[in-house]
Amino acid sequence: MEAAPRLPGMEVRPVERHVYEVQIGPAHPGSGHMRIFVEVDGDIMVRVDPDIGFVHRTMEKLAEGRDWIKNIPLFERMAILDACNITLPYVEAVEKILDIDPPPRAKYLRTLLCEINRIASHLYGMGIFGVFLGHSTLYMWAFGDREVFVQLAEDLTGARLTHSYPVFGGVRRDIPDDFPQNARKAARYMRNRLNEYAKIFLNNPNIRKRLEGVGVLDKNRATELGIVGPNVRASGIKYDVRLVEPYEAYDELDFEIPIFEEGDSLARAWVRVEEIRQSLNIIEQAVDWLERHPREGFMHDRFWKNAPQLYKDIYNGKIDYAGKYRVKLMPLFASLKVPAGKASARVEAGRGEMFYYVESDGKNVPYRVRVVSPSFRNVIAFKYVMPGHRLMDLPAIYGSFDYFPPEWDR
Amino acid sequence: MVTAAQVAYDVGWGILHYIIFYPPLYQLIIIPGLIAALVVVIFIIWFERKAAARVQMRYGPWEISPRTGGATQLIADLIRYTFQEIIVPRTVDFMSYIIAPNAAVIFSILPLVAVPMTSVSQYWPIPMDFSLLIAVALSTLSPIFVVMMSWASNNKFAVVGGVRESFIIVAYELIAVISLLAVVPLVSTFNLVDIVQVQMGGRWLGLLNPIALLDAFIAVIMSTSAFPFEIPDSESELVAGPYTEYSGLMYGLNMGAGYIRRWTLSVLITLVFLGGWAPYRPGPGVVAGYLVPSLIVVAKAVVVMAIMSFLRSVYGRYRLDQALSLAWEVLIPMAIAAFGISIAETYFGVIP
Repeated sequence: MEAAPRLPGMEVRPVERHVYEVQIGPAHPGSGHMRIFVEVDGDIMVRVDPDIGFVHRTMEKLAEGRDWIKNIPLFERMAILDACNITLPYVEAVEKILDIDPPPRAKYLRTLLCEINRIASHLYGMGIFGVFLGHSTLYMWAFGDREVFVQLAEDLTGARLTHSYPVFGGVRRDIPDDFPQNARKAARYMRNRLNEYAKIFLNNPNIRKRLEGVGVLDKNRATELGIVGPNVRASGIKYDVRLVEPYEAYDELDFEIPIFEEGDSLARAWVRVEEIRQSLNIIEQAVDWLERHPREGFMHDRFWKNAPQLYKDIYNGKIDYAGKYRVKLMPLFASLKVPAGKASARVEAGRGEMFYYVESDGKNVPYRVRVVSPSFRNVIAFKYVMPGHRLMDLPAIYGSFDYFPPEWDR
Repeated sequence: MVTAAQVAYDVGWGILHYIIFYPPLYQLIIIPGLIAALVVVIFIIWFERKAAARVQMRYGPWEISPRTGGATQLIADLIRYTFQEIIVPRTVDFMSYIIAPNAAVIFSILPLVAVPMTSVSQYWPIPMDFSLLIAVALSTLSPIFVVMMSWASNNKFAVVGGVRESFIIVAYELIAVISLLAVVPLVSTFNLVDIVQVQMGGRWLGLLNPIALLDAFIAVIMSTSAFPFEIPDSESELVAGPYTEYSGLMYGLNMGAGYIRRWTLSVLITLVFLGGWAPYRPGPGVVAGYLVPSLIVVAKAVVVMAIMSFLRSVYGRYRLDQALSLAWEVLIPMAIAAFGISIAETYFGVIP
């Protein structure tokens, strides 16, 4: 073989003669912008190389030039369908540096939105999974039912996707009066629907045949690769940030972490369904708590004391709360200077562990924000799980990891 | 004296009898050929989308004509396809790139020239002695052009799709041929007219030999890459499979060829297993002897096709090796078993 030309910055990979290279992406019909180099030998994938960095948006660098509060909407762009989970650790880390603790009501409200987001995120992932396998019914069902939870999130925060709900010291606003009954109705509805999902998709013989024993990620390999989230729980490892390091209100709530031992694509799909069930339980418990406890401050006193008069009137009961008032940020946020220090925080986002490291040098912008997103940690599994499978298994494995390109490249 | 009215009547009668109802022309162009196929395909795609939408809690085609439930959506799509620019990439093999889709459509529709639409011998397009054999043989021609398309496209996705298509062709064709011919020992003829006449009393061959019917049904689904065997052009890993490089009307032809093939084979299944124009007995004259029985066949075939289309909302797609193992390990033994059933039924004299 003649020597390939070498230029600075150019990578040359010789391809073996009997191997055929197919590029999945970059404009993928099913998923977002991502690219996977696949080399197939006959119908068998021999090398799978996820092209990390394809939609890199310099989130960490952008964060260094923005006010503390303005970074929340920025980080939401990583996974807009999981917005609360994605930004929460940033907020928590900054709160650690500020040395403030949000009031319990704010904690419950955050937990509530986190679980709503988790359900919406799982339903999104399942819908994409369905259409990857050519099952358009699950796609439509999941996206249709996701609307229920997007609507709940809108009732709660005023925005369908990019909520920017948790802010330093608390949350942006309280629940409307009719929220608890809507949430219970949604939970009842979704439990019934999950049974139907199992009927049409997970127990469908055709789909089972596609998923059972495909893309098996055993316990050791999952640990080695550092897989997180539902994917690692499908491999039989009981690891969940909500469990090992409870944040917000999770230590006061009663829920289970579903674990599956098989580690194949079907188990990964089932884990998500079971997690949706648990999230529904958590939502019900959270709204019960919120109903039992009177409306009280949902913002730390340090920020609340110079809140707009309208806010205070609402929460002192002078004006009926209807959730219709425009939400304004607390004045202090605009000029917030975080004292020098460093902190890190992590939560269990829909796709796995979300980690932030925040460092401040006392200015009105962060000195450094490091983001480790769950999809970034999961994507490496493609490289090791996919080879040996057939090319038609690629969508089945890809979809089962519920992998989200904008979150992978930050 | 010859009046103008008489001339007009004669000319009209002549056109009606020797051009419109001239059997080869009528069968290829009108019913069940090109025009009927187009109408049926438009209806079936509409039905497919509407039925899937019903299952999936949405409207489906609607906005274009709310009063008819969006029935004209497909016509609008067709117009769009027709006026879209046809882009021929520079890297393709031009002649085969252009010829393949057209040939695929033509060969998809060709088997219809060998099927009878009536028992009146005056209206047979060809002599019917070996019509079943001819129709089955002609129906196996068109998939070759899908492979040709993918080869001519010079595109990786197209080539992978074409390879998958050729795997599937080899698997399903045997099933289709064996299961359609499984009725032959039962009726001891290759003549489709005789086959339909045997079923006149309500003893449909599909009821006498349900395994053959099921096998043929699955083979048709496989051959036209409908769900759950939509493997050659599976969108999520091969963009559009063999059709990736085609645009505009050429892409429309490709999709149309698949649907027309499904239509042709549905007509064949109707005649062989579902009684054809039974229980209607064709009478004398063009209308009673030709038009009405052909419409009955069309109606039955549309039902067969609608059932095939509905599978989209229930199933995902099988993996290639799973589809192939299903074909070679389950369906072909079943087809041979169907043959055995036919022979056994003949032995016990089920059909006098």
